[in-house]
Amino acid sequence: MLLSLMCTLLAAQTAQRPAQRRRGAEGTREFLGLGRQPDAAAAARGKPLFVANCSFCHGANARGGDTGPDLLRSPVVLHDDKGEEIGPVVHNGRPARGMPAFPALTEAQLADLAEFLHMQVELAANRGTYQVKNIVTGNASAGEAYFNGPGKCNTCHSVTGDLQHIGTKHSADEIQRAFLYPSDREPPKVTVTLGSGEKITGTLKHLDDFDVSLTDAQGEFHSYAREGVKVEVEDKLAAHRRLLDQYNDSDMHNLTAYLVTLK
Amino acid sequence: MTASRLLLLAMLAQSLSLAQLLNPQDIGQPPTTSWPTYNGDYTGRRFSTLRQINPSTIHSLALQWMYRISNVGPQRGVGGAVIKSTPLMVKGVLYFTIPDHVFALDARTGREIWHYDWKDQGGHLVGNRGVGMYGDWLYFMSPDGWFISLQAKNGKERWRKKVADEKMQYFTTTSTLVVSNHVIVGVGGDAMDVPGYLESRDPETGDLQWRWDSEPRPGQPGAETWPNATAMGHGGGMTWLPGTYDKDLDLLYWGTGNPNPVYAGQGRKGSNLWTCSIVALHLDTGKLAWYFQASPHDTHDWDNVETPVLFDAEIDGKPRKLLAQAARNGYFFVLDRVTGENLVSKPFVPLNWSKGVDKRGQPIPDPAKEPAVDGSLLTIPAGGGTNWLPPSFSPETGLFYVNATRGYSLVYLTDTDERPEGYGGSARSLWSEHALEAIDYKTGNVAWSHAYPTAGGFGLGGPGILTTAGDLLFTGDYAGNLVAFAPKDGKILWHFPMTQSLSNGPATYLLADKQYLVVGAGDTLFAFALLDSHD
Repeated sequence: MLLSLMCTLLAAQTAQRPAQRRRGAEGTREFLGLGRQPDAAAAARGKPLFVANCSFCHGANARGGDTGPDLLRSPVVLHDDKGEEIGPVVHNGRPARGMPAFPALTEAQLADLAEFLHMQVELAANRGTYQVKNIVTGNASAGEAYFNGPGKCNTCHSVTGDLQHIGTKHSADEIQRAFLYPSDREPPKVTVTLGSGEKITGTLKHLDDFDVSLTDAQGEFHSYAREGVKVEVEDKLAAHRRLLDQYNDSDMHNLTAYLVTLK
Repeated sequence: MTASRLLLLAMLAQSLSLAQLLNPQDIGQPPTTSWPTYNGDYTGRRFSTLRQINPSTIHSLALQWMYRISNVGPQRGVGGAVIKSTPLMVKGVLYFTIPDHVFALDARTGREIWHYDWKDQGGHLVGNRGVGMYGDWLYFMSPDGWFISLQAKNGKERWRKKVADEKMQYFTTTSTLVVSNHVIVGVGGDAMDVPGYLESRDPETGDLQWRWDSEPRPGQPGAETWPNATAMGHGGGMTWLPGTYDKDLDLLYWGTGNPNPVYAGQGRKGSNLWTCSIVALHLDTGKLAWYFQASPHDTHDWDNVETPVLFDAEIDGKPRKLLAQAARNGYFFVLDRVTGENLVSKPFVPLNWSKGVDKRGQPIPDPAKEPAVDGSLLTIPAGGGTNWLPPSFSPETGLFYVNATRGYSLVYLTDTDERPEGYGGSARSLWSEHALEAIDYKTGNVAWSHAYPTAGGFGLGGPGILTTAGDLLFTGDYAGNLVAFAPKDGKILWHFPMTQSLSNGPATYLLADKQYLVVGAGDTLFAFALLDSHD
């Protein structure tokens, strides 16, 4: 059950991944009130213009250099929508502050330059766009030893069974997250023992300090006050939970390095 | 208190007629027939002296009315309305908020009197903690940085002042704190790297009286805790929850948020004052009296804005003026609030981000547990050991109560640039559970704890706490129940299924001699009282 559960969870995550990622970036932008999504094509056109004209002072990624300020936190940039604030500053320069004028840039080029800056802001401010970098830093052999040794992962899992091809199906980030503690959990099984001694088992529907309810194998719903009944909730993930206290970061990274080799 | 302050108060008392709704001089008294501030009084204890509702009467505690927010659609980026504000109750009227909206209700019936609807131009709609009140006027913060004064009687706008720029990614969610002739206004922001500050504004005009900056300027004391002016300018130290105030010492106590960038600390080596700190400020000037830094060089988003709770009690047999805080970073702190001297620093949840405390009692961060490119495993949830939800202190039990979250998280560094910006990293939630904890202020030991059976979450939201002289503790269980506990041992005495989980701090007051308990759960405000309360 546990073997298939882990596979099911990972499969479900894979199926939803692209949609979730899009929602993540757009939803976060809306939540933060960041305004419209920058135009990626215009930002790409603006990049070489920025590198050629601006990066000497403001740094390659517009985060500031030795002589020019950080433009990601610039009030001019953050108050700009489509170049109406940025354009005149670039075109005319700021002689009093030592910024030269760039009169040769066309309006279309200024708009592209502005869009490049908006994209840099987006990539820093919109945390829904963040991507985890390469996390496979561990030692795969040490990870395999941990899997079959102190981790006791092979008690429930098999690299030729439920985990076969896992490194092909899932990203390293997904694998690391999933083995630490699976996130998309099915409702657990529960057994309620009544005062009479009768036991009712099924899928947990609700549990708090006062009530417990469940659906039994026949699909029938049962609800009880907690007082006077005994409630036992099955915890299929108890081993994962225990390991959270056992791992050090090297164990975790080694396990990830091993699991991604299961192509 | 200075002579000039006394004179000013006397003049204020004279100029504000008896007919005004709320005399500012009455704020700060133990709240009984009103609930005039976010925390009820200035101490942040959320302890009521009322005892009509008590263990022998609670069996007849019953719902009096419900008010459901039905005239506001889904809120931008957050969905349905969630009441995080603590309502004020003054002269029979309740005032409460959600982002962009203020409501006035008949406290007896729950019927709406007026509704103020603000059209924002940006800012987060993550929450709004409620209004402040002075005389006949209310103060409301819009998400896009407007400090707005309304007439309490009809909700009409008097004036508005811009206090924060939403285009720079500031946002404002706080309940303002009214003290004497000051309205204390805090700000929020973390998507872009902006400096934090706290302002005092004139209740009559909204004009600026003073501003305290969360970071020093180059050359000023504290600047040595930053590598350079650029890093200092990235700021942080947001002041987004109401602080507390000691009238005798004339000091404001405020918590400050994380430094920026949030998770990426490589560009800001040093302890980064005065972020993640508790600061004591002089009311009239905003000058710093002392500070205590709860998370030096924070890289875990440990905003230290949780309520600094004030009470007088004995330490080692001697009476002390104390300040206690259950911090988001998982530590429980007790300080002498006259000097800032640390008396207790002890984790109230398991944590591995710190290697212990320094000689000032400040936690020492473990560099090995900073966010890492390949992931760093923390034994504390990503939202912290607790969060903004109001705690409570009962002088009758000597226990500090907090809804805590225990668990694990995985934190990644995603911005490895030498000049990082924004969050610069991300966190994954792993297993967690919620628990109500009662902490002995003398030792920081957990005297009792009640783990809620509901599975834990990220740890960001959640129920506040109220304790009363009626020997009760009210809070919510994350499963939709309002629950009354015995403060001394955590025994459950009563509950009411609200269907939505408690999302604010409970308030209580007497109205026509009847003790009411008012709580917010999701989009609904619930009012309870005894069925027969005149015995």
